[in-house]
Amino acid sequence: MMATLGYLTLALAFLLAVYGLLAVLLGLIQKTVPWIESARLALLLIFPLVTISIASLVFLLVELRFDVAYVYSVTSLEMPLYLRLTALWGGQSGSLLFWSWLLAGFSLYFGVHKWRNDDADLLPYALLVVFFTLGFFLMLNLFMEPPFERFWHLPDGSRVLSVLKPQGAWLLTPADGQGLNPLLRHPGMIWHPPALYLGFVGFIVPFALAIGSLASGRRDRRWLELSRPWTLIAWVFLSLGLVLGMRWAYDILGWGGYWGWDPVEIAALLPWLSSTALIHTALLQERRDGYARWNLALVLLTFALVIFGTFITRSGVLSSVHSFAGSDIGLPMLIYTALLSLSALGLLVYRWRDLRSSHEPEFTFSKETLTLFANLILLSILMVCFLGVIYPILSELITDTQITVGPAWYKRITGPLFILLVFLVGVCPLAAWSGTNLVRLKKRLLIVLPISLLVPLVAWFSGGVRHGVVLAALWLAGFSVLTLLADYAGRVATDWRRKEQHPAAALWAPIRRNHRRYGGLLVHLGIVLMSIGIIGIEGLQQETQATLAIGEAVDLGGYTFRFEGLDHREEQAGWLVTEARLAISSEGDPVGTLYPVREIYPNMGMAVTLPGLQSNLAVDLYAILVDWQPISQDQATFRIFYNPLVTWLWIGAGLLTAGVVVALLPGSSRRKDVQTVQVEPLAGQKLR
Amino acid sequence: MSDSSPSANNSNRLKFLIGGGLFLIAVIFMVISATRATAEFFMTVGELQSSGTEHTGQNLRVSGAVVGDSIAYDPESGQLQFLIAHIPGDDDQIKQQGGLSYVLHRAVVDEQNPRLTIRYQGSPPDMLRDEAQAILTGTLSTDGVFLAEELLLKCPSKYEEALPEQVEN
Repeated sequence: MMATLGYLTLALAFLLAVYGLLAVLLGLIQKTVPWIESARLALLLIFPLVTISIASLVFLLVELRFDVAYVYSVTSLEMPLYLRLTALWGGQSGSLLFWSWLLAGFSLYFGVHKWRNDDADLLPYALLVVFFTLGFFLMLNLFMEPPFERFWHLPDGSRVLSVLKPQGAWLLTPADGQGLNPLLRHPGMIWHPPALYLGFVGFIVPFALAIGSLASGRRDRRWLELSRPWTLIAWVFLSLGLVLGMRWAYDILGWGGYWGWDPVEIAALLPWLSSTALIHTALLQERRDGYARWNLALVLLTFALVIFGTFITRSGVLSSVHSFAGSDIGLPMLIYTALLSLSALGLLVYRWRDLRSSHEPEFTFSKETLTLFANLILLSILMVCFLGVIYPILSELITDTQITVGPAWYKRITGPLFILLVFLVGVCPLAAWSGTNLVRLKKRLLIVLPISLLVPLVAWFSGGVRHGVVLAALWLAGFSVLTLLADYAGRVATDWRRKEQHPAAALWAPIRRNHRRYGGLLVHLGIVLMSIGIIGIEGLQQETQATLAIGEAVDLGGYTFRFEGLDHREEQAGWLVTEARLAISSEGDPVGTLYPVREIYPNMGMAVTLPGLQSNLAVDLYAILVDWQPISQDQATFRIFYNPLVTWLWIGAGLLTAGVVVALLPGSSRRKDVQTVQVEPLAGQKLR
Repeated sequence: MSDSSPSANNSNRLKFLIGGGLFLIAVIFMVISATRATAEFFMTVGELQSSGTEHTGQNLRVSGAVVGDSIAYDPESGQLQFLIAHIPGDDDQIKQQGGLSYVLHRAVVDEQNPRLTIRYQGSPPDMLRDEAQAILTGTLSTDGVFLAEELLLKCPSKYEEALPEQVEN
């Protein structure tokens, strides 16, 4: 009966969303609050209902109720508990329900937040957006991709899929399920989809606030203040989702890389780029009171890209590693995306003149100019990536031949742009908000640039790097690390001298005083470290393939890899696991052993290649077992990769996360004033 | 900011426009040069066979159905060779003809279908098997063999089927 419960609660949630939409519209037309208040209460009910629905699906998955088609398709008897839980997002309809659940969760903000009297005008329009989006996704869950359908025998001997019991039918329960795709049975895959979805869905809050602000004709930046934590939360989850996806690709897909410029990867990168730009110009609007149009345009763009990304990932319109299921939800999603984007754009155009500001940035060396430049670069990368995704369609329309662009194309164009961004991250601490002291800047540059030369010098002498572009890129990255650290160290030193604090207290004091600034600094440091990892694997990766008999060895990157033997074992459900042993030595000294694995799943006709990996801060040694001679068992083929510096990619991602957490800590010193205005309950008030 | 006279504003704006414009021109230039160097023409096996030597040396991308019997891998040289059979390049056309797995099956069974020899330096991927869809990038050599640099495989798996086998039988 859990399937019925899940379905009914979902249907109720959908009805409430429709009701909410109508109630808000009525409230707006009649200009009365009770309808709006009623819609707000309906919103409060949707999240618990969807929670019950998703909990029933989880229950069915954990209990392995194979009569439910979704459970049948993503679980099987031999799957442990944690995999049954993650099977929730292992297939199309489950992951869409998960999407809706997160959406309902974030939407709760609009129901729970204590709306200040002077913000009340924003709420109805924000609710409109929320109900429209919720209604759309719940509709997909109910009618297009229902996760609760069961298998039924009909009296006439045929079989059907249906949620509710057809007349005279009885349940058909398969003995075992098909099981989760082996590629998805990996820790990276457990966290990658939820993180990415949180990142995607989180942008509903800034988006709805922005629409609320636009539609109610406000010209202030209140919507930015309200949405700041939500933008940051969504951004950090989006970043984490991207990095976890990289890690999954690195550990499971076994091609030695982490990012393949797959259209679906790019679709997730696009909102990351636009929201990164948004976070920066939001700061400008806070300081300079300009950029109102710009920030609104960016938040609209970000949410449109989020929906576009969901569309690409979930509709199967593009072939990619993410095409685990084809689907028919493409058309409705396209219609929804178009409707939402066009009306948001129309609204922005309609209010364009009202949003004029008198602020004119000065073209001088300042944080403001640098931020604008960074924005330009981020959006250029965005445009290039978007162009790459639509290039096949575009070229077919124009020239009748489909022309596609691949990783090489993206790398050539975006590589220099990303490096430039990393350099800007380092330049920014040297600039003032306005009127930078150019003499002092020159003095600092003369110190920092030569010191940061140490980084390429170390790479040259101890790493043996001779690649000019890589050395230059490492120099710039080293420069940025240095200026960021110097910025913080300078503040600590001043504090320490002035107040004679204990050194440990002085270390923490600047962060305590200004969470936002030093959280941001930590995020930037994380980004630069990640770039070092990317420079390493993109610019310095070495690769070889060799067929070795037992005892034979192959050399790569100054290491020797000796094939020591193969182990075969059979695990539960008939999986065949073959593990090879590759002993690594450097100049005769043993360094470790790699255990590349190949798992074969005969019942699914699939094989998964798991690399053997040994990593340290300098280099990852990474081996894939490609093939072996099954009879003699004394020969095997390996692909071996030498991936320098890639560990810094994961370390940087950790710092980035920590930085956002610091930036979000409550009680940051700046602009407390906005929090202290009297809060009055909304109910019973007349709308203006 | 304090400097709000119209002329100062205009010259400021001009500087931003020139700076931004120069940057964008540089980006566009990079896009054009990268496209010249790396863009790939998407062709079907049939189009490639009928075009003769027109596309020899260009970056190409070809899609087709893997002919299982033809797969040959030499571990010594690490060279992989197989045939792919023509399938339509257009997704709608594939749908009309009965779906991807049916089209792939027919493409391999029908011996009249144009076929193309693929040569690839590297080991056979896990999913390389009969009636899989192969998407290859590379160049066409003068002797009509396709030298693949990258190969991507898709299998219409049983994951996509709506009803389990127990139900259908």
